[in-house]
Amino acid sequence: MDDLEKELNPREDMENDDDDADDSCDNSSRKEGSSFKLDLIQPICQKTLHENGFHQSVRLCLEYIREAMLHHRWLEAAEYMASYAQILEDRVNLTAQQYKELVWRISTEILHHHPKSTMDDYNVIYERMKHSGFKHYLKISLEHSFHLMLHGQIEAAKQKLSEAESWRHGKETTSQYQMTKLIQAYRSLLDYIIWNEKKSMLSGNDSFESDSQGMQNYYRQASINLKEILSNPGVWDPFILSYVTMLEFKEDQEEALEVLNKYAYDDSFPPNPNAHVFLYQYLKRHDASQKKLKRVLKTLHFLVPSHELMLEYFSLLLQSGSKKDHQKAVEVVLDMLDFACWRSNLDVWKCLQNSIQNLQTGEDWKSFIEEKMAVRKEWWPALHYTKFHAMKDSEENPELLKVKASLISVLCPDRTLKYSVELESCQE
Amino acid sequence: MDEEETAGYAEPCAQCAAVDWGLSEEGRFFCKSCHNVIERTKEVMDLTFIQGANRISTLGRKSKTETAGGRHTWMVCEGFQFILMNQADALLRLGVHPHFKDGVLRQLWRLYLQKSRQAYCVNRVRSAKFRVGDADSDSDSAAEASVASASGTDGESNPCSSPSSKGGSDWSGSADSLCYLTPRQRRSHRLLSLKKTLALIHLALVWSREALTLSDLLGLVNCGSVPYVKAHEQLPEQMKLFGKDALLFTAETVPSHRSLHKEAQDLLLFLQLPAFPPISQQTLLHPGPLSLRYLIDANLPGELHRWVCRVAELAGLFHESRQTFHPESQPTLPRYDLQAAALIIVTMKLLFGLDDHTEWELSNNARSTDGEGAQFNLRRWYKLMQTALNRAQQRRDQDTARRQWRAKKPIFMRKKEKWWIMKKKRVAEQLQICFEKLSSQPSGPKDVTTSSFKFCWGEQKGADGPSLHHTLLDGVVGLKDDLLTPHHHSYWHSSLRPCKPRCQNHFTDLKNTLPNSFVWLLELFCFILDVKPSCLYEEVLSVERRVFAPPTDRARLRNRTETRTRHSAQTSEES
Repeated sequence: MDDLEKELNPREDMENDDDDADDSCDNSSRKEGSSFKLDLIQPICQKTLHENGFHQSVRLCLEYIREAMLHHRWLEAAEYMASYAQILEDRVNLTAQQYKELVWRISTEILHHHPKSTMDDYNVIYERMKHSGFKHYLKISLEHSFHLMLHGQIEAAKQKLSEAESWRHGKETTSQYQMTKLIQAYRSLLDYIIWNEKKSMLSGNDSFESDSQGMQNYYRQASINLKEILSNPGVWDPFILSYVTMLEFKEDQEEALEVLNKYAYDDSFPPNPNAHVFLYQYLKRHDASQKKLKRVLKTLHFLVPSHELMLEYFSLLLQSGSKKDHQKAVEVVLDMLDFACWRSNLDVWKCLQNSIQNLQTGEDWKSFIEEKMAVRKEWWPALHYTKFHAMKDSEENPELLKVKASLISVLCPDRTLKYSVELESCQE
Repeated sequence: MDEEETAGYAEPCAQCAAVDWGLSEEGRFFCKSCHNVIERTKEVMDLTFIQGANRISTLGRKSKTETAGGRHTWMVCEGFQFILMNQADALLRLGVHPHFKDGVLRQLWRLYLQKSRQAYCVNRVRSAKFRVGDADSDSDSAAEASVASASGTDGESNPCSSPSSKGGSDWSGSADSLCYLTPRQRRSHRLLSLKKTLALIHLALVWSREALTLSDLLGLVNCGSVPYVKAHEQLPEQMKLFGKDALLFTAETVPSHRSLHKEAQDLLLFLQLPAFPPISQQTLLHPGPLSLRYLIDANLPGELHRWVCRVAELAGLFHESRQTFHPESQPTLPRYDLQAAALIIVTMKLLFGLDDHTEWELSNNARSTDGEGAQFNLRRWYKLMQTALNRAQQRRDQDTARRQWRAKKPIFMRKKEKWWIMKKKRVAEQLQICFEKLSSQPSGPKDVTTSSFKFCWGEQKGADGPSLHHTLLDGVVGLKDDLLTPHHHSYWHSSLRPCKPRCQNHFTDLKNTLPNSFVWLLELFCFILDVKPSCLYEEVLSVERRVFAPPTDRARLRNRTETRTRHSAQTSEES
């Protein structure tokens, strides 16, 4: 390839000798014009020094395509794209990779929005661009199968991914290692989906002549790969759910628990609240002890205090008899109310009311409340107890108003808040 | 006797003296009476011939006899001859007189081949390539050295280093493309190239005094009416193009006006042509008729024409001796199109001032009536022209964006690149088909019309606007002492002192200081001619130099300062 450039360039120099004089004086004006544009524009759209007619045409074409796409004129963009295809035949190989990616992404974008695009068009584009280069074969395969998945063609998607999985190309394979992993993972997911479909069909049919062999195959393929994928650190939420579902079906409890525990508690995995959610749900399904449940939710509370499972945590804590747990319950609810999303939720406020009433049966509750409210004193009133909140609550949810108002004396005893004033005026 | 086969061989047999010959299965002659087999065999066509022995001095159109590989050997100049004739045919189809091709172009072509020693001459540029079967590069380089030293005085016959073999780097379709591309040949600038064929055509057009200017020719090339970029597709099937031919026969850019003119000029000197047929006032290349054509295209009033002719006279460009090439008196080929446009611009400057004040004041005074006796109003003209120009510019840009440069049959430089080039081509074609189906429109520029006029003025449908050709210049010129005089009395110009020959063009530096109207008018004519503004600006300056400082007065001008001067000029014309 280098020889080609060397051989072509002397030729171009010969041709361009006479054009130098024209080009140089025109270049300064052109460069001025292009520098007015923002830096967001990619370098390929700028005029280079010795641009021949072919490059000028494709550069202009690209600008028109960009204009059309930015203004959502998809029909026009498709027209220009037809004329742009000649860029792929460019002999100079320097930026070929860049152009192929450009063509791929622009084409798919146009197809997404064009009124007359069909699945066939997508298939043609994906297949052609896939095989036109090595660096992006896997990426395009993955996108192609996503597209097929989204349109319900699971079998076709799986086939594409299997092809991609068996692709080898020397150095490229090792450099795109992560992509390969992703492809394996998604293929296993597709196996699971197919298995699931068959299973649901089976349960509806209730016949003994099931495709058990096929299902076994899918099961085996999917589970082996998923297990391998899940051993790598990462965020694998849909995969782990599907794996656990399969294991549950086969009643392999230990494996499931092990996998979930690892996903939740292994330090090498990135912190993921969903992991704890999955573990909790699994344990709940299998009637685990309250202690275990509380332990899981404790970590979740630490990670995401405003999670909706905190309500369940709260109820679990209240159910146990210890004072410490009751105090913890109050703490949990207060943490929840720190977040604006729970502000107008009646259940949470009622829980708070209940828990405080519970505490009040014991002794020493005032100091405890004071301690908890110490950090919140400055900003809680602004968050919950302003005049605006009062008006809003009185319109939308009068019961909430009552509950909140009753707690003022407990939570913020030494402040007179407009909230209560409103209440008095309302009550009148 | 098998008469047909023995073809009348009537020698008596050596043994039995009978004349009764037959043909055996192997093709040998035998005597039917005594079964004596003789040496004579059925004659077969002898396909081998000694290369170079029947080297004739004329060039035929037919290709040479077949080589073992099934290809025909052909020379590069044959290929270019085909292309040249195809281009000429295209022009004939567009309406050029046939004398241009048969009378003028062929002669020029033969003259060129003769001068560059490729054909029609005694000591041709030879290549050592035709030693078939000699694959040893060492012996070839030795041979090259010896031949080079032997023909030291000659200097032109430079053999190539190795013969064409199927593998290796000198694999090419034509027989002598390697010789073509040696550094020595390149330096001598006698190479044939696609640009040169265009330059030859231009010279032939000027000689036969056709109305096509250089910018018209380039316009036809750009819109594809004259084959250039994909010219090699029209070569006959037997001529296989590959290898180094790719460098010669593919073009990815159309030459600019300036470079093509330079090429034509160089060719003129190289061919040592005699004086051209005179370009008189009746010829359409003369500033008189040509400026009228541009005036119509730019929708300017017809009355301006007489002023343009007057300016041309003042500049000394009206006489045919100035317009016709002559080896002694007029050694440079005039740029007819730029000249006519520059004359129009100078005339406009003269009558309207074009200094951002005068022209608008004059147009304020003009009565804006329509119909008979309507006056030319510059403001109205400017508005019409500006919208039409924007539209046309946009259309041109869109056509440039849609242009397809890739030929259906690409030429491969090397054998191993064939498969990946074809693969890329298939991908591109599929993509194109997919999107053409979506947009239900073929790719490539739409509505390609080959018209010499860029704008269309009048009342018909599709016109760019109403025609101002009939309007009068009453507001601009008036009678004074029974002579028509412009109302505007002064004339401005930039520094007329010519810079040293290798100086860069100053237009981009000066652009911000020049009046906007002037720059806009320059750009209008640059669009019509498809040249760069700096070229046209140079031409305007040279016309002004001729008008205000004829060559004898140049010495005086050198002493002036380099600032913009106001120069008063009055032209008078007998009405």
